[in-house]
Amino acid sequence: MTDESAVSTARLPHNVRAGPGTVITGGAPFHRLNSLRDPAVVIGANCTMDRVHFALGPEGVVEIGDYCCFTSAILLCEQNIRIGNYVVIGWNTTIADTDFHPLEPAQRIADAIASSPLGTNRPRPHIEKLPVIIEDDVWIGPNTAILKGVVIGAGAFIEPGSLVAHDVPPRTRVIGNPARVVGTV
Amino acid sequence: MSEISGPRTIPGDWHDGTIPANVAIDDTAYIESTFSFVEFRSEMVPGVTMGRGASAYFGTMFDVGSQGRVTLGEYALVHGARIICDSTIEIHDYALISWNVLLMDNYRVPRDPDARRHLLERVPVLSDRRLDGNTEPAPIVIGRNAWVGFDVCVLPGVSVGEGSIVGARSVVIEDVPPFTVVAGNPARVIRTLQHQTSDRHD
Repeated sequence: MTDESAVSTARLPHNVRAGPGTVITGGAPFHRLNSLRDPAVVIGANCTMDRVHFALGPEGVVEIGDYCCFTSAILLCEQNIRIGNYVVIGWNTTIADTDFHPLEPAQRIADAIASSPLGTNRPRPHIEKLPVIIEDDVWIGPNTAILKGVVIGAGAFIEPGSLVAHDVPPRTRVIGNPARVVGTV
Repeated sequence: MSEISGPRTIPGDWHDGTIPANVAIDDTAYIESTFSFVEFRSEMVPGVTMGRGASAYFGTMFDVGSQGRVTLGEYALVHGARIICDSTIEIHDYALISWNVLLMDNYRVPRDPDARRHLLERVPVLSDRRLDGNTEPAPIVIGRNAWVGFDVCVLPGVSVGEGSIVGARSVVIEDVPPFTVVAGNPARVIRTLQHQTSDRHD
């Protein structure tokens, strides 16, 4: 995998790898790539990343296999988002591996202060993060949300507009909020 | 209806584009930007029809395939929907489509993972890298005076009846009867509207 082989409208940041035949389009796909990891984003070969936003925190690592097609997806990653081969993600879909903020109210006040302009050098409280794993051949429809800790089994079909908060068994079709199994593929 | 003519621009448009020749717009209809047509590929004549007083505001995208036809009736208002159309999508008179709505008449991928894999292997050799598996579309109808709330998804084959309301963020997977309120994901009937008429009260 070499950076040079990737056709892109954006210059790839130093910690992004993209395989041969991969195309990355869009105005600022790595505008919010704040990961200190190297590599932070690894994209396989022959992928089409059309207006995808890679928003990664300091520890975030996103791994994407070969022959994936994403359209206007938003990947919010504080830990690890791992996506297999032949995965399709539709327009306006969000994948997040974090809760973003603590659930406990007092902790959330501490987080608000630490995150504010006055919070310089103040550490943020612990925030739950769990990797998101999307296996091979998964189709994720438009307007969908995939939440932290979810494993989507190989070949699954996520209907448009679904909110996936729990694991999805392989080769099942899910729909709804929260997404429930309605059939197989 | 104005004559179908050559490339037309929109005064003050932020996007440097034109309205395609096979888009038939009434002189009183309104389109905010030609950006709405960057994914328009219809070869039908007309591929998009906009009736008297119809309007398509910012964020509306006509992602219309070669055989697709979209019609907006009189006074129909689309305030930023993604319209994915390979057969027909009819938005009838006075219908109201809110922001970030998805109307799709085609999944454009086979449901079978193995078939999808073959399709994905062909994408890198396509100049536009468009994922289109030539799957069977199923037309969508948004009935007269229906109201579709924001962030709603309307899936292939669905008809929303006259005067009905689809609550915000609903996902509509089956037909909505006339004068009915549905909501939820997937959407279900909440109640029936009492005044079952779309006649005007002036």
